[in-house]
Amino acid sequence: MTGTVFDIQRAALHDGPGIRTTVFLNGCPLRCAWCHNPEAFTTSPPTGYSGKTYGRVMSVEQIMSVVEADRGYYRASGGGLTVSGGEPTVQYAFCVALLTAAKRAGIHTCLDTSGHLPTDALLQLAHLVDLFHFDVKLPSGNEHTRWTGVDGRLIYRNLIALRDRGCRIRLRCPIVPGVNDTPEHRRHLDQLFATGGFESVEHLPYHSDAAGKYRDLGLPPPQFPPAVV
Amino acid sequence: MQTLSEASIAYALQSEPCFEAALDHAERFTASYRKHMHATATEREAAALAVQFPALLLPPAAGDRFVGRIRYGLVGLSPEPVGLGYYCVSDALRTGAERYGRLSKRATTLLRFWDRITTSQKVRATFPPSVAKLLPSDRWTEDSAAAFPLYRLAGTVLDYQRLIHRGLPGLEAETANTRFAYVVPLLRSSIERYVADGVDDEIRETLQAIGQRPPTGLREAIQLFWLYALHAGTWNYGRLDVVLGPYLQRDLDTQRLTEAQALDLIGSLWRLMHAYSNQYNNRVIIGGRGRHHEAAADRFALLAIEASRRVGLNQPQLSLRWYQGQNPLLWERAIDAIGEGHTFPILYNDDVNVPAVAKAFSVPLKLAAQYTPFGCGEYVLGPWSVGSPNGVLNLVKALEIALHGGIDPVSGVRVLDLPDPATFTSFDQLWDAYTQVVDVFMTALAQQAVHTYRVIAAEAPFGFIGLLTGDCLESDRHLLSGGVRHLGATVETYGNTNTADSLYAVRQLVFEQRVLSLPELVASLDDNFTTDRNVQRRCLEVAKYGNDDAAVDAMAQRVHTQVCTSARRQAEAVSLDSCLVVIINNWANTVLGRSTAASPDGRRAGEPLANGNNPAPGAARSGVSAFLNSLVKLDPSLHAGAVQNMKFSKQWFGRMRPKFSALLQAYFAAGGTQAMVTVVSKRDLEAALIEPEKWSNLLVRVGGFSIRFVDLPPAAQRELIARTLH
Repeated sequence: MTGTVFDIQRAALHDGPGIRTTVFLNGCPLRCAWCHNPEAFTTSPPTGYSGKTYGRVMSVEQIMSVVEADRGYYRASGGGLTVSGGEPTVQYAFCVALLTAAKRAGIHTCLDTSGHLPTDALLQLAHLVDLFHFDVKLPSGNEHTRWTGVDGRLIYRNLIALRDRGCRIRLRCPIVPGVNDTPEHRRHLDQLFATGGFESVEHLPYHSDAAGKYRDLGLPPPQFPPAVV
Repeated sequence: MQTLSEASIAYALQSEPCFEAALDHAERFTASYRKHMHATATEREAAALAVQFPALLLPPAAGDRFVGRIRYGLVGLSPEPVGLGYYCVSDALRTGAERYGRLSKRATTLLRFWDRITTSQKVRATFPPSVAKLLPSDRWTEDSAAAFPLYRLAGTVLDYQRLIHRGLPGLEAETANTRFAYVVPLLRSSIERYVADGVDDEIRETLQAIGQRPPTGLREAIQLFWLYALHAGTWNYGRLDVVLGPYLQRDLDTQRLTEAQALDLIGSLWRLMHAYSNQYNNRVIIGGRGRHHEAAADRFALLAIEASRRVGLNQPQLSLRWYQGQNPLLWERAIDAIGEGHTFPILYNDDVNVPAVAKAFSVPLKLAAQYTPFGCGEYVLGPWSVGSPNGVLNLVKALEIALHGGIDPVSGVRVLDLPDPATFTSFDQLWDAYTQVVDVFMTALAQQAVHTYRVIAAEAPFGFIGLLTGDCLESDRHLLSGGVRHLGATVETYGNTNTADSLYAVRQLVFEQRVLSLPELVASLDDNFTTDRNVQRRCLEVAKYGNDDAAVDAMAQRVHTQVCTSARRQAEAVSLDSCLVVIINNWANTVLGRSTAASPDGRRAGEPLANGNNPAPGAARSGVSAFLNSLVKLDPSLHAGAVQNMKFSKQWFGRMRPKFSALLQAYFAAGGTQAMVTVVSKRDLEAALIEPEKWSNLLVRVGGFSIRFVDLPPAAQRELIARTLH
């Protein structure tokens, strides 16, 4: 089984408990205006003006040989594998195969997901995931569509379905100036968290270090807060 | 920042009266030497030291809790601090003669007398022609060569427990009628001089007490230890927690001292160490296996870490030996100090190092448990061995010579007769040529080490060192005349990683992918990649050590094993107990890099070599775990110490501190030998370049030593910034 991977970060500190290896898969159904991984919009790796190709085909075995090399660090720190993207479930079969391989190897798994995929598909892989990192970006509706390209209803439905299944979930919520950096949105997140069943809610500050990648890909770099026209 | 030697010279040259006083001292010393030229080495040394002590000792500075500051003369006797054995700082005498014309005749007379009879010069004069041909230069910081001799007796660590248990009266009784009989009277004369010159009441009472009986408390124990170290001319102190812990414990338990008072005393000792030598040495070891009274030693160790945090200087080089099951508080406090950016303590992993040292030195585990890092990271077996690093070998230069059929392309000198590399049809032929160069130089360096020891033994027996080194007193033999239990040699190797990356790149580009011929590659190296930048790009694109890449890491293992084995083979040939490589670093990676041509790893001519056996600057790009996984692949049981520098960003601390601690624990569990950690941000380093005056407290670990970043020369600052920040 092979898939396209645009990065593997070893000894990642910010992608879940402990020291982790984070595998970034190409492909995403959303188009969040602030996205910091624009190279992962499509499953086929794009090539930038620099000549750099963002992603390569790798087998599950190839990835696992990298992941397993750091087993000692996971054991010492309570870490493991994080699968991220893009939206990692876009390459659904590959994502499942990777998570399965990690579980078989006794390695803790974390899935960093937008939650935008068919509910059945999500629930079917839930037993392979020790911890979900779940993005909540905006309340569902027009604003969600405006900033991400999808209305968010499926995302919320999936979040509740996962919670009701008893999955471990941490809410990881990007706070983007000019989009959702508002008291109302923070209140919305607090209220969501208060409904129970989530381990934590984390506000992730927006950062603009992806501008170079946008330019390389011939895309206009996003700017937040958006420039006043 | 000045070394003891630089500070002593600068003082002597700062004014005419200072230079005149320096000449007075040098003349007294010279008269004594002349008088005892044909006496026994012991008599000559006793007389020479009687000129130096107490004359070289300085009064305490404000706030000192102990006496023991020193400034050396322009002519004198030392094992290492200013020169080896009987030394003469000729450059300073010449400068003084030019600057202060009235005194020039006296300076010239001294220069003439010492010409060709200093111990270093006598060492060189004994090199057989074959060794002299391979080691033509002593100017390792300026000239181009694969190997250089170093003139010193470095890394002796003394049995201060014996000193403090016996005290001066006990030691005096033990040494009566031995060749060490002159040691205690010299110490007594220094103590008496300090008392006579006037010191504060507390110091006076302490000095009088240690003159009369063994120390009974921490203050007395530190004072006696420190005075002895200064007289011995040693500046690595070994396991002070073992030596001083019981005295600290007793003082605390009997309320003779509060913890704050004890901390104040230790802090004062740290400042004296910094004043003594503020660059490479001053190793203080805490923690580890093989300690009696471990609980008492731990109490000292914890205060030692706290003292380093409070004093905030780049000295002493506090080093924590750690093993699974040791008092966890030591680890926690160590991580706190490291996270605050102190660079101390340096961490050593006993679970790996004790068995590795046993194998490397071929000694039982019990003795290996006394391994003691000194200087930039070399090991000795506590006070039972000598293993002075007296030779430097640049492996990149060895490869360079192999790639040029035996000629050093920088100096143009033919070093060896080797086949023309244009005729090589396989990588193995290049490998054979390279290892031939390494072996030839290693043989020369081992012989040179033995000649150095022989001359030292005949010239300057260093009785202060021998008396507290096993088993000199028992056998009544001087240190290098059969006294020391384990006599070894060590050779510093540099550029190990660049060599491995280079050999791998040659194998890939020339012999496997065949995108270049060897002559094309060598031509490009000779022209520093100037004509065809594509060659450098290709060289840089080849995988590099430090990324957990199996193939290139295997080459690093091959290079490592070859050079370590090459050294080990020499032990028998030169009748030493061991001959081992040390992979350390002071400035040598930048200094030797200057005279090293472009290398096939993509490094341009003159650029620094990698630091110790770390990846080349900026080459580790696959995350810190991959970097650490590469490090642990190099067998630690083949050498006498290797430094592992790592630069971490501040993001690893604060909330992430448990992950940092876990990372190091996992690295140790995987076989990591040690960790020298700098915690900085790139922004801080860059800001310090622009406004050095605002960043005087920014400590960094360069190689085997810590330093204020702003005191680094520009090339070393750039190299440090270029290292991967994890």
